[in-house]
Amino acid sequence: MAEENTADTASAWVRINSVDGFSYLVQRNVALGSGTLKGMLSTDSNFMEATNNTCSLQERGAVVEKAVEYLAYKAQYANAPQSVDIPDFTERIPPELALELLMAADFLEM
Amino acid sequence: MSAIKLRKPKIKPPRKLGADTAIEETWKLFSEAVREIFNHRASNLSYEENYRYAYNLVLYKNGHVLYDGLRGLITENLDKLAKKDIVPAFPATGNADPVQQSQEGERLLNALRDVWEDHSQGMSRIRDLVKYMDKNYTVTAKVLPIWDAGVQLFLQRIIRSPAYNICSHIINCILTQIHIERDGYTITRSSMKGCVDILLQIVDIDNGLSVYKTDLEPRVLQESKAFFEAECERLLEVCDAPEYLRRAEAHLASEAARTQNYLSYDTHAPLQRIVEDYLLRAQFHTIMAMPSSGIDNMIDTDKIEDLARLYRLFKIVPTEMPVLKKALKNSIAARGKTVNDASGEGEGGGEDEEEPQEVQGKGKGKERARPAKAGREQSAAVASKWVQDVLDLQDLFDRVLKLAFGNEVELQTAINEAFESFINLNPKAPEFISIFMDENLKKGLKGKSDEEVEVLLDKTIGVFRFITEKDVFERYYKTHLAKRLLNGRSISDDAERGMLAKLKVECGFQFTQKLEGMFHDMKLSAETMAAYKESVTRPSIDISVQVLTSTFWPMTHGVTPCTFSAEMNQAITSFERYYLSRHSGRRLTWQAAMGSADVRATFKARKHDLNVSTYALVVLLLFENVDEGGFLTYDEIKLATSIEDVELRRTLQSLACAKFKVLKKHPPSREVAQTDSFSFNNDFTAPLQRIKIGTVASRAENDDQRKETMERVDEERKHQTDACIVRVMKDRKRMTHNDLINEATAQLAKRFQPNPAQIKKRIEALIEREYLDRGEDKKSYIYLA
Repeated sequence: MAEENTADTASAWVRINSVDGFSYLVQRNVALGSGTLKGMLSTDSNFMEATNNTCSLQERGAVVEKAVEYLAYKAQYANAPQSVDIPDFTERIPPELALELLMAADFLEM
Repeated sequence: MSAIKLRKPKIKPPRKLGADTAIEETWKLFSEAVREIFNHRASNLSYEENYRYAYNLVLYKNGHVLYDGLRGLITENLDKLAKKDIVPAFPATGNADPVQQSQEGERLLNALRDVWEDHSQGMSRIRDLVKYMDKNYTVTAKVLPIWDAGVQLFLQRIIRSPAYNICSHIINCILTQIHIERDGYTITRSSMKGCVDILLQIVDIDNGLSVYKTDLEPRVLQESKAFFEAECERLLEVCDAPEYLRRAEAHLASEAARTQNYLSYDTHAPLQRIVEDYLLRAQFHTIMAMPSSGIDNMIDTDKIEDLARLYRLFKIVPTEMPVLKKALKNSIAARGKTVNDASGEGEGGGEDEEEPQEVQGKGKGKERARPAKAGREQSAAVASKWVQDVLDLQDLFDRVLKLAFGNEVELQTAINEAFESFINLNPKAPEFISIFMDENLKKGLKGKSDEEVEVLLDKTIGVFRFITEKDVFERYYKTHLAKRLLNGRSISDDAERGMLAKLKVECGFQFTQKLEGMFHDMKLSAETMAAYKESVTRPSIDISVQVLTSTFWPMTHGVTPCTFSAEMNQAITSFERYYLSRHSGRRLTWQAAMGSADVRATFKARKHDLNVSTYALVVLLLFENVDEGGFLTYDEIKLATSIEDVELRRTLQSLACAKFKVLKKHPPSREVAQTDSFSFNNDFTAPLQRIKIGTVASRAENDDQRKETMERVDEERKHQTDACIVRVMKDRKRMTHNDLINEATAQLAKRFQPNPAQIKKRIEALIEREYLDRGEDKKSYIYLA
């Protein structure tokens, strides 16, 4: 997860924009944790998002940020061995964001 | 969702879409995007946007609008493609040039492939966009996921297009391509593979079978049948057997390559089966019987490679292996018959030679007397030739089996069976083998290394193994061995013992027991003689005695009447006294017919040492007391020696009519008659000091002798059968008739081929002698201890 000032455009990174103008640079493999983002970035289908390496979501910044945070969390622990203690992500979700995040998660397929 | 709302009132409600107009609007936007996708302009579209349209349509319970709409759009696109791309690629009819035909076909196949690729590319994008629908709508609505729906639409609109006959064009095109390739032209296999792969992928949802399976494969197989039926006829006409097999193998390989390269692997088996059926299974008989190139010819001309190919092809259709086995058997049987016939003819000649001797033996004495030697050697030669022929034949087939047939056990068995049957067809086989061994042990092994001896003996044993009447062989072998031992004709003691060991391995301890006894007797005799000579000072005659245990040796053991001279009797008595003093309770019978003697005779020219049989010695000694030029009549000689007519005649013949005429016969002729008289031939000359005058009976037997041998063998078999039955019954106490017969047959088969009637007779004899009793059920026997 990176803020918008990080100006790294290598293909290992993709940009995710929120509807209210926030922009997040995310490692590609982290972004691929979402089925929808994966579809957008698929070079086979080659939609506009794949050409520009940029995904614009119809969500506000706070939700996108939490979603991206979750994707990073997922990428980090997805293949973790059983011995590693995995922290509970639910504690990091602010209650006021929960519903919106739930809907975004459904949309993003993650 | 409502639960969450209740718990957190300050949460913002989710954005909602507008009314029904919003649905229509959304679909319109989405359908435009789909059209764009089919027109290859996806990179201008936002995935997020269109995904959201589809997502919303499904989310707000309008999945059917999306799904049905998509189907319509896909159908529209496919119809367009069929018309635009495929129909123009239909091959023009009536083009005969295979190269051009193949190119046209390729065009159609490529067109189909392009359309399919077009379709799949679009479909894969659409699938990505409507992922949410596939996950949430299609399952509950019980419809196909969009990709599969697309495949079904492709099947309906392209392959089975109601407007154009695309399917049959494609299938025909593929068949033509295969045919062109079979005719030896090159086709573009990648186009074929591309097209076949599509047909394999398109599975009809109704029956779960791919178009390949339902439409293409049956046609391919049908065409192949027709092709190979014709091909087979053509090949049979133009090719000889090896060439046919070569072509058949090539066909198998090319069909295999075909299935591997562009047809489905599932077709491999049925297609191979067709080739096998038409080119191999039905034709093996014909091929192998081809007069100048069939299996016989291949074996004759040592075409190992062709035979190996034949075997490989047979291995492919293992059910046909019996045909190969039968052909091998026939081939061996024919060859064996030639060998047998040749020996029969050769022996016919041999018997002619023997005949005078035999006739003379019966006392008719009218035909010319010929030295026995020629006939004897000839029949030995016939026997040796027969065995050698068999060995050569065996070598040939061993070679074929090893190099061409990979030592296949089944074929080995077949070959062995064939050998066994033709060898046993020759009734003289046991005798011939024994003679062959005799010849080799007597002179053949001279100058051969131990290994060569070993190899030769092993091979002979190999032939021996095929004989069913091993007891007959044993009898002959015993006779021959006895002669070798007594006459000291054996070249190598090691070879003899080696042979014995091999026979022991083959037939067991019982078989060689007596043979070993013979060796043992020889050894004991040598020791006895050494001890005797030490004990006796100055013997009148240098005597050498071999004491033989009568049961071990094959001679007839009746007392052979022969009046020995006084000196001889003295020596005999001396030995008897010595021997009986050491072994009380034994009886010695003197076998004059077996012995030989060295005697020094004084002729006018010089003295000669004659090596003669004991009979001849006794006869010669008579002449010691006859004045020079004096005569002795046949009757006088017989009276003085009391030798039996047959033996006496033979002895006189060998002394007076053979190569060395020590006696003169009056009147001179080749035969000896009862009216003849004899005188000592004082004028006898010979270049050598030492002369051997042999009277050896013919070794290949004449018919009477053979009959006698067989009678003895039969007698022996009766005893063996008795012993066997008693052994079995002693063990089992009670057995049914059939079980007993089977068991006895199995046990006796090692020695000869017993026949059930014979066994039954022996059982009856045993019941008479109260070894056995019939059971109450009339079916079984009880052993009486």
